[in-house]
Amino acid sequence: MANEARDTTWQAAKLNLREFAKLVDDEQQSLIDAKGTKKVGYICNYTPVELLNAAGVRHSRLVKTGSPKTVSAGELYTQSVFCDFTKSCIGFFQEDDPFYKSFDKVYNFHSCSTMKRASEVIEQFVPVKLLNLPKLRSSQDARNFFREEIINFKDDLGELTGTRVQDEEVRRQITIYNRARALLKQISELRKGPYPVISGAEFLDLVRGYYYLPGEKLVQALEQVQRHLEGIPVPPGRPLRLMISGSIMADGDRRLLNILENELGARVVIEDHCAGVRPFYHRVAEAGDPYRALANGYLDQAPCARMKPLEDGVTFSGKLAREYSVDGVVYVYLKFCACYGVSKKEFISEFQKQDLPILEISSDYSESDYGQLKTRIEAFVEVLNERGGTISHEQYVNA
Amino acid sequence: MKHQAKDIINEGAWKFTTTVPVVGLDIGSRGSKAILLHGDDVFTVLLPTGLYMQETADELLNKLLQTSGLERSDIAAVVGTGYGRISLKYDDIPYRVVTEISCHAMGAHAVIPKTRTIIDIGGQDSKAIKVDRATGKVVEFVMNDKCAAGTGRFLEKAAAILGIDLRDLGEIALKSEKPAQVSSQCAVFAESEVISLRARGARENLQEISADIAAGVHTSTARRVHNLLGRVGIEPDIVFTGGVSNNVGMWKVLEEEIGAKFTPAKLDLIFAGALGAAIHAWKFFASTHEVKRTKKHVAKHETREEARLPNGE
Repeated sequence: MANEARDTTWQAAKLNLREFAKLVDDEQQSLIDAKGTKKVGYICNYTPVELLNAAGVRHSRLVKTGSPKTVSAGELYTQSVFCDFTKSCIGFFQEDDPFYKSFDKVYNFHSCSTMKRASEVIEQFVPVKLLNLPKLRSSQDARNFFREEIINFKDDLGELTGTRVQDEEVRRQITIYNRARALLKQISELRKGPYPVISGAEFLDLVRGYYYLPGEKLVQALEQVQRHLEGIPVPPGRPLRLMISGSIMADGDRRLLNILENELGARVVIEDHCAGVRPFYHRVAEAGDPYRALANGYLDQAPCARMKPLEDGVTFSGKLAREYSVDGVVYVYLKFCACYGVSKKEFISEFQKQDLPILEISSDYSESDYGQLKTRIEAFVEVLNERGGTISHEQYVNA
Repeated sequence: MKHQAKDIINEGAWKFTTTVPVVGLDIGSRGSKAILLHGDDVFTVLLPTGLYMQETADELLNKLLQTSGLERSDIAAVVGTGYGRISLKYDDIPYRVVTEISCHAMGAHAVIPKTRTIIDIGGQDSKAIKVDRATGKVVEFVMNDKCAAGTGRFLEKAAAILGIDLRDLGEIALKSEKPAQVSSQCAVFAESEVISLRARGARENLQEISADIAAGVHTSTARRVHNLLGRVGIEPDIVFTGGVSNNVGMWKVLEEEIGAKFTPAKLDLIFAGALGAAIHAWKFFASTHEVKRTKKHVAKHETREEARLPNGE
């Protein structure tokens, strides 16, 4: 009976997760179809989404993984040594992708140099506004300056829609997004126990919601997901627990997760990358000047490796590994990434200090290297299982 | 071929005497290797990999049965490894998959118990592996990127352009007095580099030019492999495994490049992966038979089963 009850709640929760994924997919189509409202795309996690909502525009992060065809379309404009994410962003515009084509304007807070150049290329397809993002995250001058830049962003949105963005509405959106970030963090933390009730791939599906859904809809849907997941009695057992650390695992870039979770039965329990939990570890002050609050809040989020000091990001990564008691870390960055490809040593030695095995993978969006990727990941899982003293029974065939 | 375990081990006692026949299959991108362990007998077979991996594997198994005089039903367990490991299927024999990284580590450890570092250069990839001396388990490994430079495939390409049999390439390279500079990091570009080097050579000294180019190709491959090694460290005993370990030129150039000597083995280490796989098959057999005997293991098994249950969708 206990098992049956567990299965029912489990299935209800999984059904709810699928509904959430569908909600996110539908939202994209509805953005394409929407008439009469301005549509805005943004590139970097340092873009205050509160302002997009306060301005009443439809919005989405440009975070899709391109197919090899899309990537090569992007390469028309770049050298070969740009990351596949950059090439994808350009490629979708070059290929007249209906979703990317529907934006009236794209905003880019100057994230990495590569993405900055990409946004300049994108300008030939759609109006782009480049905004400054200071690198020295703790400097007061940087914070003052970032506040000014955020106000520029707000004013520009007002010009785009023809209506001034109201401070009161900004404050309201800050509260909504604080709630959304807190929910995503709490849901992620459900994975801290020995058996994570939600897989890494499922969690990233929820993170997609943060990039595609409007704030209120997002909060509502996440609250439902949380209720469902908290209702599941946690099964016994402890699968292999892994952390993914690195640059970005964009929407659709699921090759690694697929091999790790579906083929090898491991679980990714925490992801420290720019489409993972990083944005959910900050809270924007709800009182006082909302623009100062946004400037501080966003600079206080778990930092991208382009920020200074680098140690802040490394320390955060190390802290997550401990909190989520992982057995190993897959450090993955996109080929040619000037931020993560170069700072890998600092991250890797932080994990080594914790005696955690690390698999380093430089990845791209091609599909031809599946075999080599699988061999590497499989061998890593073998090493981890042997460290744990047991070889998982899932590996036995006909046993 | 039939060997005695004591004849293929460098020193010390052989730890892997089996009570039942077990098989390791290493289906590589170019060559397929198989080993059958039975008591203290070690049977080896080597074939080029065919288009259909299962056919190649069946042929290997049949040859092993022929040379050992055993029946298919005698085989207690098979472990598959290498590039083609995923495409194999056996309905009548317990079968398990282990990556070639773990298998090379175990295989090298079995014949050279002091193995600490392995360089494995195969047909389409190369790996540096750090091994635990006590157990033969992998401590750390690095594999080349999806790129043919630094692999056997690169040497094969070069041999084809030079019109030399791959098996002679190493010997010919050793004759060079001034190795050509093949600087490219990319096998495709390196190929055009080799073609243009060759085009520059005069007709009368073609042999000399070929040797210089062959040597240059070896040096460039060695440099890539050295880079990999740098990431896991170079501690003795260093063992060279994989198909390319039979290339005398590569052996010498790599030793010079890393500034250390490889420990020679008594078994052709193209079989390192297959031997490791066979040992894993033996361990697999032993562990599954323990599972049935000891209560503790049964309990652990059930927990795992249960843990998997809700995810059955």
